Amino acid sequence: MGARRKSLADNELLIVRTFNAPPSVVFAMWSRAEHMKRWMGPKGFTCPEMAIDLRVGGRYHGMIKSADHGENWFGGVYREIVPDKRLVFTFTWENDGPSAGLETVVTINFEERDGKTIQTFHQAPFRTVERRDGHVGGWSEAFDKQAAYAEKIAKEQAA
Amino acid sequence: MADLLSVTFSALADPTRRAILARLAQGEATVNELAEPFEISLPAVSRHLKVLEGAGLISRGREAQWRPCKLEPERLKTVDDWLSVYRRFWEQSFDKMAAYLKELSAGESDGRAKKKPR
Repeated sequence: MGARRKSLADNELLIVRTFNAPPSVVFAMWSRAEHMKRWMGPKGFTCPEMAIDLRVGGRYHGMIKSADHGENWFGGVYREIVPDKRLVFTFTWENDGPSAGLETVVTINFEERDGKTIQTFHQAPFRTVERRDGHVGGWSEAFDKQAAYAEKIAKEQAA
Repeated sequence: MADLLSVTFSALADPTRRAILARLAQGEATVNELAEPFEISLPAVSRHLKVLEGAGLISRGREAQWRPCKLEPERLKTVDDWLSVYRRFWEQSFDKMAAYLKELSAGESDGRAKKKPR
Protein backbone atom coordinates (compact mmCIF):
# COMPACT_ATOMS: atom_id res chain seq x y z
CA MET A 1 0.00 0.00 0.00
CA GLY A 2 3.00 2.29 0.51
CA ALA A 3 3.48 3.01 -3.15
CA ARG A 4 -0.24 3.62 -3.63
CA ARG A 5 -0.37 6.15 -0.85
CA LYS A 6 2.65 7.93 -2.18
CA SER A 7 0.92 8.35 -5.52
CA LEU A 8 -1.91 10.23 -3.82
CA ALA A 9 0.37 13.14 -3.12
CA ASP A 10 2.32 12.73 -6.33
CA ASN A 11 -0.18 13.91 -8.87
CA GLU A 12 2.26 16.53 -10.02
CA LEU A 13 5.81 16.49 -11.20
CA LEU A 14 8.72 18.42 -9.69
CA ILE A 15 12.22 18.12 -11.15
CA VAL A 16 15.00 20.33 -9.80
CA ARG A 17 18.16 20.39 -11.81
CA THR A 18 21.33 22.52 -11.85
CA PHE A 19 22.88 23.42 -15.17
CA ASN A 20 26.38 24.69 -15.64
CA ALA A 21 25.38 27.90 -17.40
CA PRO A 22 23.93 31.27 -16.37
CA PRO A 23 20.11 31.73 -16.25
CA SER A 24 20.08 33.78 -19.46
CA VAL A 25 21.50 30.81 -21.34
CA VAL A 26 19.25 28.21 -19.69
CA PHE A 27 16.21 30.44 -20.29
CA ALA A 28 17.19 30.63 -23.97
CA MET A 29 17.15 26.80 -24.08
CA TRP A 30 13.37 27.13 -23.64
CA SER A 31 12.65 30.40 -25.38
CA ARG A 32 14.47 29.94 -28.68
CA ALA A 33 13.45 27.27 -31.15
CA GLU A 34 16.94 26.65 -32.51
CA HIS A 35 18.09 25.73 -29.02
CA MET A 36 15.01 23.79 -27.96
CA LYS A 37 15.37 21.60 -31.04
CA ARG A 38 18.74 20.43 -29.75
CA TRP A 39 17.51 18.84 -26.53
CA MET A 40 13.72 18.41 -26.53
CA GLY A 41 12.61 14.78 -26.30
CA PRO A 42 13.85 11.72 -24.45
CA LYS A 43 16.73 9.48 -25.46
CA GLY A 44 16.42 8.24 -29.02
CA PHE A 45 14.22 11.16 -30.13
CA THR A 46 15.07 14.16 -32.25
CA CYS A 47 13.11 17.39 -32.38
CA PRO A 48 13.03 18.47 -36.03
CA GLU A 49 10.14 20.94 -35.72
CA MET A 50 9.82 23.76 -33.24
CA ALA A 51 8.12 27.14 -33.57
CA ILE A 52 7.95 29.65 -30.75
CA ASP A 53 5.93 32.84 -30.43
CA LEU A 54 7.32 34.11 -27.15
CA ARG A 55 4.70 36.44 -25.71
CA VAL A 56 1.92 35.95 -23.18
CA GLY A 57 -0.89 34.30 -25.12
CA GLY A 58 1.53 33.29 -27.88
CA ARG A 59 1.80 29.66 -28.97
CA TYR A 60 4.61 27.20 -29.39
CA HIS A 61 4.32 24.10 -31.49
CA GLY A 62 6.77 21.30 -32.03
CA MET A 63 7.35 17.69 -32.94
CA ILE A 64 9.67 15.00 -31.68
CA LYS A 65 10.24 11.73 -33.45
CA SER A 66 11.99 8.41 -33.15
CA ALA A 67 12.22 5.28 -35.29
CA ASP A 68 10.06 3.35 -32.82
CA HIS A 69 7.48 5.98 -31.94
CA GLY A 70 7.10 8.03 -35.12
CA GLU A 71 6.13 11.69 -35.02
CA ASN A 72 4.69 13.18 -31.84
CA TRP A 73 3.31 16.70 -31.96
CA PHE A 74 2.92 18.89 -28.93
CA GLY A 75 2.11 22.51 -28.23
CA GLY A 76 0.77 25.08 -25.85
CA VAL A 77 0.34 28.71 -24.91
CA TYR A 78 2.62 30.97 -22.88
CA ARG A 79 0.99 32.30 -19.75
CA GLU A 80 3.79 34.08 -17.97
CA ILE A 81 7.20 35.21 -19.18
CA VAL A 82 9.83 36.76 -16.92
CA PRO A 83 13.06 36.69 -18.96
CA ASP A 84 15.82 34.61 -17.38
CA LYS A 85 13.66 33.99 -14.29
CA ARG A 86 10.35 32.30 -14.93
CA LEU A 87 8.32 30.70 -17.67
CA VAL A 88 4.78 29.34 -17.46
CA PHE A 89 3.06 27.61 -20.36
CA THR A 90 0.45 24.97 -21.09
CA PHE A 91 1.62 21.68 -22.56
CA THR A 92 -0.53 19.24 -24.51
CA TRP A 93 0.23 16.19 -26.66
CA GLU A 94 -1.69 16.36 -29.91
CA ASN A 95 -1.32 12.72 -30.97
CA ASP A 96 -3.34 9.71 -29.88
CA GLY A 97 -2.21 7.96 -26.76
CA PRO A 98 -2.84 7.87 -23.05
CA SER A 99 -2.29 11.53 -22.33
CA ALA A 100 -3.23 13.07 -25.68
CA GLY A 101 -5.41 16.13 -25.34
CA LEU A 102 -4.86 16.46 -21.61
CA GLU A 103 -3.76 20.00 -20.91
CA THR A 104 -1.05 20.38 -18.31
CA VAL A 105 0.65 23.51 -17.01
CA VAL A 106 4.43 23.73 -16.88
CA THR A 107 6.07 26.24 -14.55
CA ILE A 108 9.83 26.71 -14.67
CA ASN A 109 11.84 28.93 -12.35
CA PHE A 110 15.46 29.77 -13.08
CA GLU A 111 17.69 30.85 -10.23
CA GLU A 112 21.32 31.90 -10.48
CA ARG A 113 23.79 30.38 -8.04
CA ASP A 114 27.54 30.87 -8.46
CA GLY A 115 27.25 31.26 -12.20
CA LYS A 116 25.11 28.13 -12.50
CA THR A 117 21.37 27.86 -12.88
CA ILE A 118 19.00 25.99 -10.64
CA GLN A 119 16.05 25.10 -12.80
CA THR A 120 12.90 24.14 -10.93
CA PHE A 121 10.51 22.42 -13.28
CA HIS A 122 6.92 21.78 -12.26
CA GLN A 123 4.20 20.14 -14.29
CA ALA A 124 0.66 19.42 -13.26
CA PRO A 125 -2.74 18.94 -14.79
CA PHE A 126 -4.56 22.18 -15.38
CA ARG A 127 -6.95 22.18 -12.47
CA THR A 128 -4.37 21.17 -9.94
CA VAL A 129 -2.09 24.03 -10.79
CA GLU A 130 -4.90 26.58 -10.77
CA ARG A 131 -5.57 25.59 -7.21
CA ARG A 132 -1.91 25.60 -6.33
CA ASP A 133 -1.27 29.06 -7.72
CA GLY A 134 -3.66 30.46 -5.16
CA HIS A 135 -2.21 28.29 -2.46
CA VAL A 136 0.85 29.75 -0.81
CA GLY A 137 1.56 26.61 1.18
CA GLY A 138 2.09 24.50 -1.90
CA TRP A 139 4.45 26.90 -3.55
CA SER A 140 6.44 27.85 -0.50
CA GLU A 141 6.98 24.18 0.10
CA ALA A 142 8.35 23.87 -3.41
CA PHE A 143 10.64 26.82 -2.88
CA ASP A 144 11.86 25.41 0.43
CA LYS A 145 12.85 22.29 -1.43
CA GLN A 146 14.59 24.42 -4.01
CA ALA A 147 16.48 26.34 -1.31
CA ALA A 148 17.55 23.14 0.43
CA TYR A 149 18.73 21.73 -2.85
CA ALA A 150 20.67 24.89 -3.69
CA GLU A 151 22.39 24.77 -0.32
CA LYS A 152 23.33 21.16 -0.84
CA ILE A 153 24.84 22.00 -4.21
CA ALA A 154 26.71 24.96 -2.77
CA LYS A 155 28.16 22.80 0.01
CA GLU A 156 29.24 20.15 -2.44
CA GLN A 157 30.98 22.78 -4.52
CA ALA A 158 32.74 24.25 -1.49
CA ALA A 159 33.94 20.81 -0.39
CA MET B 1 -8.50 7.89 -22.29
CA ALA B 2 -7.53 11.54 -22.00
CA ASP B 3 -10.99 12.38 -20.73
CA LEU B 4 -10.67 9.70 -18.10
CA LEU B 5 -7.33 11.12 -16.99
CA SER B 6 -8.80 14.63 -16.87
CA VAL B 7 -11.65 13.41 -14.71
CA THR B 8 -9.22 11.56 -12.46
CA PHE B 9 -6.92 14.53 -12.09
CA SER B 10 -9.71 16.96 -11.35
CA ALA B 11 -10.95 14.52 -8.70
CA LEU B 12 -7.45 14.40 -7.21
CA ALA B 13 -7.03 18.18 -7.31
CA ASP B 14 -9.04 18.63 -4.12
CA PRO B 15 -7.22 18.20 -0.77
CA THR B 16 -10.29 16.81 1.02
CA ARG B 17 -10.71 14.16 -1.65
CA ARG B 18 -7.02 13.28 -1.43
CA ALA B 19 -7.40 12.93 2.34
CA ILE B 20 -10.42 10.67 1.83
CA LEU B 21 -8.39 8.50 -0.52
CA ALA B 22 -5.53 8.35 1.96
CA ARG B 23 -7.98 7.16 4.59
CA LEU B 24 -9.42 4.54 2.23
CA ALA B 25 -5.93 3.30 1.44
CA GLN B 26 -6.01 1.86 4.96
CA GLY B 27 -9.25 0.00 4.40
CA GLU B 28 -12.96 0.33 3.66
CA ALA B 29 -14.96 2.98 5.50
CA THR B 30 -18.51 4.26 5.74
CA VAL B 31 -19.52 7.82 4.92
CA ASN B 32 -19.81 8.61 8.64
CA GLU B 33 -16.32 7.32 9.32
CA LEU B 34 -14.96 9.31 6.41
CA ALA B 35 -16.69 12.51 7.54
CA GLU B 36 -15.30 12.31 11.06
CA PRO B 37 -11.90 14.01 10.58
CA PHE B 38 -13.31 16.86 8.45
CA GLU B 39 -15.20 19.94 9.46
CA ILE B 40 -17.70 19.51 6.68
CA SER B 41 -21.23 18.21 6.54
CA LEU B 42 -22.22 14.69 5.57
CA PRO B 43 -23.82 15.91 2.32
CA ALA B 44 -20.56 17.64 1.44
CA VAL B 45 -18.64 14.42 2.04
CA SER B 46 -21.20 12.58 -0.08
CA ARG B 47 -20.59 15.02 -2.91
CA HIS B 48 -16.85 14.38 -2.71
CA LEU B 49 -17.49 10.64 -2.74
CA LYS B 50 -19.64 11.01 -5.83
CA VAL B 51 -16.78 12.76 -7.63
CA LEU B 52 -14.33 10.06 -6.57
CA GLU B 53 -16.73 7.35 -7.65
CA GLY B 54 -17.32 9.07 -10.99
CA ALA B 55 -13.57 9.11 -11.56
CA GLY B 56 -13.36 5.41 -10.78
CA LEU B 57 -11.10 6.05 -7.81
CA ILE B 58 -13.48 4.42 -5.35
CA SER B 59 -16.40 2.04 -5.42
CA ARG B 60 -19.26 1.76 -2.98
CA GLY B 61 -20.94 -1.27 -1.51
CA ARG B 62 -24.50 -2.27 -2.34
CA GLU B 63 -25.94 -2.51 1.16
CA ALA B 64 -28.29 0.44 1.33
CA GLN B 65 -27.60 1.37 4.94
CA TRP B 66 -23.81 1.33 5.04
CA ARG B 67 -22.54 1.51 1.50
CA PRO B 68 -18.90 1.19 2.57
CA CYS B 69 -16.39 2.97 0.32
CA LYS B 70 -13.44 1.14 -1.10
CA LEU B 71 -10.35 2.38 -2.90
CA GLU B 72 -9.92 1.30 -6.52
CA PRO B 73 -6.14 1.30 -6.88
CA GLU B 74 -6.12 0.61 -10.63
CA ARG B 75 -7.08 4.18 -11.45
CA LEU B 76 -4.35 5.55 -9.21
CA LYS B 77 -1.93 3.37 -11.08
CA THR B 78 -2.98 5.15 -14.27
CA VAL B 79 -1.97 8.44 -12.66
CA ASP B 80 1.30 6.94 -11.50
CA ASP B 81 2.07 5.66 -14.99
CA TRP B 82 1.22 9.04 -16.50
CA LEU B 83 3.61 10.76 -14.12
CA SER B 84 6.47 8.33 -14.59
CA VAL B 85 6.23 8.63 -18.36
CA TYR B 86 6.48 12.42 -18.08
CA ARG B 87 9.29 12.16 -15.54
CA ARG B 88 11.35 10.00 -17.88
CA PHE B 89 10.53 12.29 -20.76
CA TRP B 90 11.83 15.43 -19.04
CA GLU B 91 14.77 13.87 -17.22
CA GLN B 92 16.15 12.45 -20.44
CA SER B 93 15.49 15.74 -22.23
CA PHE B 94 17.36 17.61 -19.49
CA ASP B 95 20.29 15.19 -19.87
CA LYS B 96 20.42 16.24 -23.50
CA MET B 97 20.12 19.90 -22.51
CA ALA B 98 23.10 19.54 -20.17
CA ALA B 99 25.14 17.89 -22.93
CA TYR B 100 24.19 20.62 -25.39
CA LEU B 101 25.11 23.36 -22.88
CA LYS B 102 28.48 21.70 -22.42
CA GLU B 103 28.96 21.68 -26.17
CA LEU B 104 28.09 25.38 -26.35
CA SER B 105 30.52 26.38 -23.62
CA ALA B 106 33.28 24.19 -25.07
CA GLY B 107 32.80 25.98 -28.39
CA GLU B 108 33.18 29.29 -26.58
CA SER B 109 36.32 28.48 -24.62
CA ASP B 110 37.95 27.10 -27.77
CA GLY B 111 37.68 30.63 -29.06
CA ARG B 112 35.61 29.43 -31.98
CA ALA B 113 32.66 31.38 -33.32
CA LYS B 114 30.52 32.54 -30.42
CA LYS B 115 27.60 30.22 -29.99
CA LYS B 116 26.26 31.97 -26.95
CA PRO B 117 22.50 32.02 -27.26
CA ARG B 118 21.84 35.63 -26.36
